[in-house]
Amino acid sequence: MTRIHTIVKKEFTDTLRDKRTILTMIVMPLLLVPILMNLTIRITQRQQRKAEVELIDLAFIGGEYAPRLLELVQADSQFVVREDVRENEFEQLIRDDTLDAGIVVPPDFLERITADEQAEVVLYYRSSSSFAVAEGRLRSVIGDYDGEIVDGRIRRMSLDPDLFEAIAVEARDISTMQEVLGKTVGGFLPYMFIIFMFTGAMYAGIDLSAGEKERGTLETLLSSPASRLEIVLGKFAVVATVGIASALISMFGLYLGVRGIEDIPPEAMEAVWEILSVKVVVMIATLLLPLAAFFAAMILALAIQAKSFKEAQSTLTPLSIVVIMPVVFGLLPGIELNAQTALIPVLNVSLATKEVIAGTINPLHLVMSYASLFVLAAASIWFCVVWFNREETLFRS
Amino acid sequence: MIQVQNLRKEFKITRKVRKELGAGAPAGKTLTAVDDVSFVCKPGRVFGLLGPNGAGKTTALRLIATMLKPTAGTIVVNGVDAGTDPRAVRDHIGFLTGNTGLYDRLTATEMVKYHADLHRMDPREFEARRDTLFHTLGITDFAGRRIARLSSGMRQKVSIARTIIHDPDVIVFDEPTSGLDVMTSRGIVNLIRDCRDAGKTVLFSTHIMGEVQQLCDDIGVLHRGRMYFCGSKEEFETQMTHSSYEDEFIHMVGEAA
Repeated sequence: MTRIHTIVKKEFTDTLRDKRTILTMIVMPLLLVPILMNLTIRITQRQQRKAEVELIDLAFIGGEYAPRLLELVQADSQFVVREDVRENEFEQLIRDDTLDAGIVVPPDFLERITADEQAEVVLYYRSSSSFAVAEGRLRSVIGDYDGEIVDGRIRRMSLDPDLFEAIAVEARDISTMQEVLGKTVGGFLPYMFIIFMFTGAMYAGIDLSAGEKERGTLETLLSSPASRLEIVLGKFAVVATVGIASALISMFGLYLGVRGIEDIPPEAMEAVWEILSVKVVVMIATLLLPLAAFFAAMILALAIQAKSFKEAQSTLTPLSIVVIMPVVFGLLPGIELNAQTALIPVLNVSLATKEVIAGTINPLHLVMSYASLFVLAAASIWFCVVWFNREETLFRS
Repeated sequence: MIQVQNLRKEFKITRKVRKELGAGAPAGKTLTAVDDVSFVCKPGRVFGLLGPNGAGKTTALRLIATMLKPTAGTIVVNGVDAGTDPRAVRDHIGFLTGNTGLYDRLTATEMVKYHADLHRMDPREFEARRDTLFHTLGITDFAGRRIARLSSGMRQKVSIARTIIHDPDVIVFDEPTSGLDVMTSRGIVNLIRDCRDAGKTVLFSTHIMGEVQQLCDDIGVLHRGRMYFCGSKEEFETQMTHSSYEDEFIHMVGEAA
């Protein structure tokens, strides 16, 4: 057994007995992800259903000028129509949540309709209120009435209905469910595993560097025949593995979360199984390897400069925001994997994961992403070895 | 054998370090922790490195253990130049650091095995040596217990076992009895004596005069990085102007101040 193996074996034993690492590596992603995911989806669904069946308090002014519209609104069981509210009270009542929406019909409404002109109605609502259900419902009723009027005019004038619809659009979405999921859920997936990879690796990395320094165990290790390079490589291998394990466990947590969601359309579930194919999983795993190497080396290089676990933590915690930023950019619409973005670390993993899941990855961009990450990982390891060789770094006290 | 010749170690005083040291920071850009120090530790003898806190004892020991690189001078351990082959030097040395330096989450056995593996000990040889050491030091009863659950005395015993598991020819102890109770200290003193009797080269730093008087064959008095006395115990006693070791040491260090 080489000294690197000895160090790796010991660091694994030590790390897997550390409650903090276990918490960030296993418990958090495995429990927190499915629980949070299920909770968020359930609450959203419940609120949406509640909003959909909730009665809408609607103030109607000028009903006498548009009796048919009033009739249609009253016929809709979702509306509770109030005709006793004045127009100047609308805004305040809607703000106070006493009213959900208001509609004002001007006195010349019917006159204009009869004259085949365009008539106007004014709607009052709050787009910020839950799901803007009132507005949508009201527009739908007005739309029905509008259809009735236009149909009547067409018939009366003996016109061809096509006259009013010059272009008939027949939309055929050729995206597969896998592509749709890739572009939507695919952005969320790297967000999850990159954060968990970083935090998992961070705690292990700090414990194996600044933690060792603080406890005085690094000195005993340095007095052994192991070289600095062997020490760095041993620790690096463990931190990178913990990072990968955290990422994989978070993905498994996500899978458990998806399985726990009710009402998933069968075609979406089929696409999820498609995503979980060996090819896709292997491709994502190969993206995780260089990223974990980069994170591990960077974390070790920074943490070894701290005097204590606490100091290292305060240095590295803000860095997690820096790591999240490229992932967030990857979620923005219009940002795609190309020759430029493939060279930006973290962002390339985020975008490439989306493309891999959607099955639309360009092999050249994938190779460029690998190359960029490997170069960065190698440079980070080199930096790490340089820091571990500096006396001022190791014996900073 | 350890041969130290004109050893010098300077540390750069960075802005950060200066800020941390505050008013106590030296005026220059460097701090000389060890300054032109020479001494020889012979096999079968115990060399005691005496000095107050901040004298440069730990730095000198770290230089010998090749954890630090000297600014000038040479260190030869069992015929191996520390500058050219530091790994071979570390292979010859057993270094007990100032603190116990143990991993809380490992058991005593795992801790000792880790260092044996780093020294690439043969498994069978390790087992035999471990059994002997654990028996001698009284570790057997708590060998399977995690270090976090051990008392400071037990921890120091494990630390010693870790230091000498590979049966090194040269043993360096940095204040081995510091903060220990009388019983544990006595055990360690006996162990140092046993090492000497076994023909090992023993170098240990301390500021406990009783231990020096009891154990040392050779003495070096280090203060502010410089060696104020280096010779045999007999030579030290011959030049003494005070009745006790402690008074003599205080006089020596005080005069230097």
